[in-house]
Amino acid sequence: MKVAEFLKRITEASGVSGAEGEVGTIVAETFRTLADEVRSDVMGNVIALKRGEGLPSGEHPRVMLAGHMDEIGLMVTKVEDGFLRFTTVGGFDVRTLLGQEVLVHGRRPLRGVIGCRPPHVLTPAENERVVPLQELFIDVGYEEEPLRELVRVGDFVTVRREQIELAGGRLAAKALDDRAAVAAIGFCLDLLKKRRHQWDVCAVATVQEEVGLRGAITSAFGVAPHLGIAIDVTFGSQYGVPEYETVEMGGGPPIGLGPNFHPKVHERLVETAKALEIPYQIDPIPGRSGTDAWAIQVTREGIPTALLSIPLRYMHTPVETVDVRDIERTGHLMAEFICGLDETFASELGVQVRRLNGQGGPTCC
Amino acid sequence: MKELIKSLVEAFGPSGSEDRVRDLIAAEVGKVAREVRTDALGNLIATVGSKGAGGRRVMLAAHMDEIGIVVSHIDAKGFVRFGGVGGVFRLALIGSRVRFADGRIGVIGSEQKRVEGDLPRLDQLFIDVGAKDRDSAPVKVGDVACFDRPFVDLGGRLVAKAMDDRIGCAVLVQVLKELGETPHEVHFVFTVQEEVGLRGAQTSAYGIDAELAIAVDVTTTGDTPEARTMAVSLGSGPAVKVKDRGMLSHPGVRRWLVETAEREGIPYQLEVLEAGTTDAAVMQTTRAGVPAGVLSIPTRYVHTPSEMVDYEDVLGAVRLLVAALRGPAEIG
Repeated sequence: MKVAEFLKRITEASGVSGAEGEVGTIVAETFRTLADEVRSDVMGNVIALKRGEGLPSGEHPRVMLAGHMDEIGLMVTKVEDGFLRFTTVGGFDVRTLLGQEVLVHGRRPLRGVIGCRPPHVLTPAENERVVPLQELFIDVGYEEEPLRELVRVGDFVTVRREQIELAGGRLAAKALDDRAAVAAIGFCLDLLKKRRHQWDVCAVATVQEEVGLRGAITSAFGVAPHLGIAIDVTFGSQYGVPEYETVEMGGGPPIGLGPNFHPKVHERLVETAKALEIPYQIDPIPGRSGTDAWAIQVTREGIPTALLSIPLRYMHTPVETVDVRDIERTGHLMAEFICGLDETFASELGVQVRRLNGQGGPTCC
Repeated sequence: MKELIKSLVEAFGPSGSEDRVRDLIAAEVGKVAREVRTDALGNLIATVGSKGAGGRRVMLAAHMDEIGIVVSHIDAKGFVRFGGVGGVFRLALIGSRVRFADGRIGVIGSEQKRVEGDLPRLDQLFIDVGAKDRDSAPVKVGDVACFDRPFVDLGGRLVAKAMDDRIGCAVLVQVLKELGETPHEVHFVFTVQEEVGLRGAQTSAYGIDAELAIAVDVTTTGDTPEARTMAVSLGSGPAVKVKDRGMLSHPGVRRWLVETAEREGIPYQLEVLEAGTTDAAVMQTTRAGVPAGVLSIPTRYVHTPSEMVDYEDVLGAVRLLVAALRGPAEIG
């Protein structure tokens, strides 16, 4: 799989939290070529099953991989005098909204721009401040009347941005948080096609992470995995951010360490990376990880959970930047880890490998 | 329906003390529902209908609890210090009266020695229950109280404490009475502890394991002087929620409600609420996920003792839900 090509298709697709249909279709289409079954659930999570050979006992424990496909975006709150007022869906960096080109998902898609008052008419004090969300508006070109026909309160808005290749194997795009992880999962599934593994793999492109891990809450319940790995992005080294708050760009996947993560799973991921000389980093997270791992861990009777991250610069802006090698290494590490999952590891984790019968059981597998 | 609304909003029922509201509702729905039960947390669940062709197991929820205060300390002179139950605004407390379970009234006073012009903190407020000293105080630590404020009918508009969410309870009771034949198995759930974290809905939704869930609750408006931008106003019909701080409505449920309103000629509005959430947020993420939406009653002055709704919006919400539930739920 060519990571940059797959990424281009999914980062340029629209998929604000709660409206992941467009990107979900592309992800499902791609996963269908890499897995045995693909379905989506009530929330819109795309769930792919790649069957393993099973344990010698005949049981099929499941590992869930979760990367969220929703992106932060905007939503129309009011049509006012020919302009659109809006709010954010997820934590969009409001400083970066001025002057952006957007797509308004109305009765038909409408291109628009986020305008502002010209600098010439501002007082020096106004010139110094960030324009607050309440003063921003979208202009699609229409006057009030046709606009009201085409756009309604609650319509989603995405920022438009083409993915570009930077020098040195780096890419800039919108929505790399967290479609870089979806690409890493795709890369992993692709590697697994040529490999033997005992455990089943449930790869989930989750929805609504940016508004509260909601897709992970429901998909983890539905999949009922015996082990969960969330893949998300974290702060890559950049100008103006202290070294101790970042990880190295191109340094390989940071592996989460802390209460959100099962120590044995963490240890096994580190051992796997060492054995195969896959660059990795250690990412200590003292509490709430803010990722799908946080929701997965406390699903049902509890799930041993891990987190792999992809270093990313300029988070929650339309120019998020990653190193493609980090994505590939994340996928590679996951694939090798999965191939090493066996009966012994299942019993080391203390997971009850049993079939869940009837209602509420795993519908993916 | 105004009589029903009056009796519900005037009842005492801060989060965790919903029993009187529950008794009132149980008396209303007892004769109509196939089954009425109270679960372990105190949610009242009234069930009608059974699943026919195109039918679903539906959960409708409105919360019985209201915000209030709880006594935390009584000093030697008989002044009562308190904490909030749910989202109590200091601005709404000053000058208010509160009513305890036994009907006793207290008035809220504030410490006078504080920075001029500053809003007092909650711990600078106290309740004066008319006691001379600690021993004569008619309340004790742990007692809860709600706002004391009578229901007022201003004609088209109704004002009371606890419209949030007794108005939702009133809508559900009325829907239950008017529904008649339905292809669905409908569970009308009058939830507890919404104001302290959607706790009654969380457990009742798990228990019911619904295939479709709708909460009926209040939402704020943008139609008062210098209000925050919000395209919801009183009297323009019930609001179909798109988003709030806790959820993004299932697009199919939203469409089903909108299409029903348009077919029936019921005025409606679309709602994007930038603060707050409803029981539907936890109903949606129950088990492996439930298609969920919200029908909101536009309400001014939410979480004050004078919450105002428009009676036509209330009637519209009843009509919309009755019309929707009489047919199949086409939610895609």
